[in-house]
Amino acid sequence: MAMRIPLQIATAIIVLGGISGMVLPEYHLRLLNLSLISAVAVIGLNFAFGYAGLISLGHAAFVGMGGYGLAILTTTCGWSPWLAAPVAIAATAISAGLIGYPLLRLRGHYLALATLGLNVSFYIVTSNWIAMTGGTNGIARIPGLALGSFSFSGEHQFLWLALMVLALIAAAAAALHKSRLGREMIAVRDDEIASEMTGIDTTRIKIEAFVLSAICAAVAGCLFALHMRFVAPEDFTYAHSITYLAMLIVGGEGTIVGAVLGAVLLTFLPEWLRFLGTAYLFFFGLLVLGILVFLPTGLVGLGQRLSRRSAKTPLLASARAPEATS
Amino acid sequence: MLSCNDLVVAHGDIVALQGVTLQVEAGETVALIGANGAGKTTLLHAISGLNRVSSGDIRFERRSIAGWPTDARVSAGIAQAPEGRRIFPGLSVEENLTLATVSWRRWRQSIAADLDRVFGLFPRLKERRRQLGWSLSGGEQQMLAIGRALMARPKLLLLDEPSLGLAPRLAEEVYEQVRCIGETGLTILVVEQNTVLALSVADRAYVLETGRIVLEGPADELKHNARVREAYLGR
Repeated sequence: MAMRIPLQIATAIIVLGGISGMVLPEYHLRLLNLSLISAVAVIGLNFAFGYAGLISLGHAAFVGMGGYGLAILTTTCGWSPWLAAPVAIAATAISAGLIGYPLLRLRGHYLALATLGLNVSFYIVTSNWIAMTGGTNGIARIPGLALGSFSFSGEHQFLWLALMVLALIAAAAAALHKSRLGREMIAVRDDEIASEMTGIDTTRIKIEAFVLSAICAAVAGCLFALHMRFVAPEDFTYAHSITYLAMLIVGGEGTIVGAVLGAVLLTFLPEWLRFLGTAYLFFFGLLVLGILVFLPTGLVGLGQRLSRRSAKTPLLASARAPEATS
Repeated sequence: MLSCNDLVVAHGDIVALQGVTLQVEAGETVALIGANGAGKTTLLHAISGLNRVSSGDIRFERRSIAGWPTDARVSAGIAQAPEGRRIFPGLSVEENLTLATVSWRRWRQSIAADLDRVFGLFPRLKERRRQLGWSLSGGEQQMLAIGRALMARPKLLLLDEPSLGLAPRLAEEVYEQVRCIGETGLTILVVEQNTVLALSVADRAYVLETGRIVLEGPADELKHNARVREAYLGR
């Protein structure tokens, strides 16, 4: 019973992604892969922001740590990507714990500013530490992932890898939502003082949420490096962090389905609206503003409202949704 | 069981408690009454660990706990039903209750008996166990707040204004349950502006005025005390 929703989500991702992979042309397939990578990162951001209520504007820095970690270990050290990826992810998790310990004493917009600062520092370090990161030239010739003789280098092959990883992460995240840790995170977001009174170590929960979010970010970073075969500081700027946040808000914060929907939509939207030219940013701003004002629960909230009106059964358990309707 | 010795708490420059000494013995129900701004909640928060103590000592079961973080005090056996309920709106009734067991629960340990005890006290919570916290009425939220505190298996239960914002009949209903909880032997310290209700369940009471204890004694005595009658009972 407890595993029903996670399995449903994982199956839906693989089936829908697999079907799209068969019908989409090569260029859109590339976009789809990028959107799946973003979705992994946004599910991570959902742990920190959607569940624990930590406003992080430095998520791209953790994506970058994962990506650079893999890039450096595979090129400079010559490791296999299979070994480099877990090491890069673990290193990112440890850094997030060390960074989170002092940073998470801050709240609200102070935390937002501090994480923004973290992201800017990451950009400055990666573009100037030329011996390690290659500076603004980035790191090229990252080896692709291969399983025996099967290589995940083409867009089609990579799609399956990305789908598997995303399905796994989404299922784990959905299972966590219903677990004790998930409830503790939601409690800390809802009311920090009441959580403390209830006996929850709020600092520990916040750090755990932050580290979990960084782990997902690092997984996304590794996927990104394996897909592009190239990483550069421009791939992990604070603008990317804001995009991740926008994806989560557009899709619906606090929900896994929302995180995935938001990531896919905001990756494809610039392509569909290419005729707008530079006016796209204006449109994008209006869209996010409109969603914040009229749909504070995002697309998932809209779906729930519609399905409740027609069938009176909620689409998916969302922690945030009821507050908007109350 | 609990003793506060010459407790001083300051919010910045403002001294909210100026040397409060208070004792709660095992098994008794003690009321702390006083007007708005007298420092009642400040004292309760100092006991539960949400306020830093400037000087003075808090001892719980003979151990000094003044420097402990809140979650350690909950593990030691001090649970609080906070002012204004503060239940978790995004979690269901049952999840709210389950969450409060983090202080003692080990892996896969059952909480069914604890849940049954709370549902026995507040049957209405059982009916609404799957409902989300925000959808409860004020009285139900107060019951949930008390139930949540009980789930922590406390030795000392702190109640902060359980009658706040409730219709008189509902407030009496809540206090009826407080009396029942007290009769099971649990030690209770209740902070209340509604003096009549608080004195009706308490064994002893303290009166707090502008950060000082001005009166203390058995509840029955205080009910007939001229000063209490004039200031808090409307004669």
